[in-house]
Amino acid sequence: MNDYDFDQTRRSFIDRVLKATAFAGVASAAPWAAAAAGTEQVAVGDRVRLGVIGTGDRGRALIQNIAKTRNCTVAAICDNYAPNLAKGRALVGSGVRAFSDYRAMLDARGLDALVIATPLHLHARPAADGFAAGLHVWCEKAMARTIEDCGAMVKQAQGSGKILQIGHQRMFHPTYLNALKRVKAGEIGTVTQIRASWHRNNSWRRAVPAGASDRQINWRLYRDSSAGLMTELATHQIQVGNWFLDGVPTRVIGSGSICFWKDGREVYDHVALIYEYAGGRKLIYTSLLNNARYGCEEQIQGSTGTIEPELGRIFREVPPKTLALQRMQADVKRGQKRAIPIGGATWFPELPVTTPGESLGWGEYSETMLQFEGFGEAVRSGKPLPGLLSQAYHASVASLIGEQAMDSGEAVKWPTSLVAV
Amino acid sequence: MGTRIEIHAFGAADDDALFAARRAIEAVDDALTIHRPSPTTALNAGLMAGEIAVVTDRVLLDALVEIETAYALTHGLFDPAADASKRSAGWDAISFDPATARVSASRPVALDFGGFGKGFALDRAGAVLREAGIVSALLSAGESSIAVIGEHPLGGAWPITVPHPTKPGDMLVELELTNEALSISSTIGAGVAAPERAAMIRPIDGAIITNDRTTVAIEPTGARAEMMSTALLVADGDHATRLLTDPFARRFLFDFAHEAAMPAYPARMPFDERL
Repeated sequence: MNDYDFDQTRRSFIDRVLKATAFAGVASAAPWAAAAAGTEQVAVGDRVRLGVIGTGDRGRALIQNIAKTRNCTVAAICDNYAPNLAKGRALVGSGVRAFSDYRAMLDARGLDALVIATPLHLHARPAADGFAAGLHVWCEKAMARTIEDCGAMVKQAQGSGKILQIGHQRMFHPTYLNALKRVKAGEIGTVTQIRASWHRNNSWRRAVPAGASDRQINWRLYRDSSAGLMTELATHQIQVGNWFLDGVPTRVIGSGSICFWKDGREVYDHVALIYEYAGGRKLIYTSLLNNARYGCEEQIQGSTGTIEPELGRIFREVPPKTLALQRMQADVKRGQKRAIPIGGATWFPELPVTTPGESLGWGEYSETMLQFEGFGEAVRSGKPLPGLLSQAYHASVASLIGEQAMDSGEAVKWPTSLVAV
Repeated sequence: MGTRIEIHAFGAADDDALFAARRAIEAVDDALTIHRPSPTTALNAGLMAGEIAVVTDRVLLDALVEIETAYALTHGLFDPAADASKRSAGWDAISFDPATARVSASRPVALDFGGFGKGFALDRAGAVLREAGIVSALLSAGESSIAVIGEHPLGGAWPITVPHPTKPGDMLVELELTNEALSISSTIGAGVAAPERAAMIRPIDGAIITNDRTTVAIEPTGARAEMMSTALLVADGDHATRLLTDPFARRFLFDFAHEAAMPAYPARMPFDERL
């Protein structure tokens, strides 16, 4: 893709976002989207200067997306693991300062905001230090390892008057926004259930290079640094559940197990949870690491249709056929005798509907890049994109109470002592 | 039977009669199924082991009598002992003595009644309803097998149309039934690609039927209609001609490979044409 093509697709994205959020229901459910879409080209010198903490795989992916934005630039990078820092340097070039200690990066100044892409248990501290240094913070999801730390991050952002934005890129995805628009318009009727899953078939374990420790490289597999599938994957889809069900869960029940990869890991490799929402609605979630058949998907299930935003499809419910013999009964009651068509309705078990559905729309864009443009817009205006932090905070809390439910084997209610956001 | 059974009774019909008819249908399923332990699976185990079996289940015995009686009418084209994987398997290997209920086979064979069970079940349910005094009813097994008792509740024969399997709105034939049964078999249209639906084979030579065909057979009983529509579907050449030209039968074969040449049947085939 060249710059011209990218510009065209970006324009296309903005057009889609604006169209989607022009709809009243979507504007209230995704108020951040239109604000983010308003981003204009700015001079290089006016771009929001970001210091990226953590230049592992995810951090480097973020750096590449930031480079595509119109209003942000990477001004510094930091990683305490030298091989990752070297890979980060290779991306940003020698003109960008590099640090092995983020506190030194803060002391060096020259930044408007931090980007935190460290292991989960190392989100809260740098965020707090960033706010203390007068910086805005963009942090990968999930927010933090504990509900208390998540709340503390929200409070610190509120207390400092700085922006805190969490990396839930689906909220900037035009297909998701279009899906939301169509749900709000009643196109799939009353939504009572969402089935979501993220299924992979690999161990999630990485080879440990010489000089590194297993816990340093495979931090996702250990309880002190991660809640495993819940915080690394499920948070995305729980956020989608909250968003489309327009609320937060009332309680969650769940079962987790180390079911397949019995390699010394501490986090579950197989989770199954039911999040209950007001009115009896449910988000049913599964994630496992030894079967990828159904991959990553969300099924928004309504009384007249289903939307699957990850697949970009909308499916109509197939109306029940008026069987010929039912029609015959009605005819007789009316005193009408007419031919009875038979021969087509042999009944088989209620198998899945396999109609192809319709496209929700797709495009060449990076929602990860777009969320940074939104962040840049928020930093430049000094106003957080409305509703964004609330979605992220509640998704993180929901993922962590899911972990609690699985650990305890008991239903866990939605906490009553959360920070107002 | 893996299908929806419906009973539409008109006039005075008490719940006990309908319940008894339902039980009659369930009894056929219990006796003839091969998808769970049943008298048929027990019989099959004996036949496969080369034993002489004595059938004690009355429903299974009656089914065997029905097939033994009608097998020749289908020229061997309906064969519940046919096995696509064993060319030698077939009803002609079976010795059946209805008087003693003894069954044996000269070669290992197993019975799979297939669609026969649907028609047979409708017959037994119909008998229960008639005995209960019901004079007007339509019984359906998946809308591909139907049996009617008496006349239409508004008088006269039951008007039935058979839709074209691939052209919505088009009709293959329109028929009238009274105290008869009708079976439709098809290699094309809704349901034929359903899971566990076996390919149609011609028992006499083991050929897999790949032609796009629909057949319709109207017979005095549902069991016989099922046997005949199945036989017609797999029939070829002379066999098909002989089945279709029976002066006492109303049978139809629609071969969609030669659709333009298919006979245009009268808009309405009266029920008493054969008389």
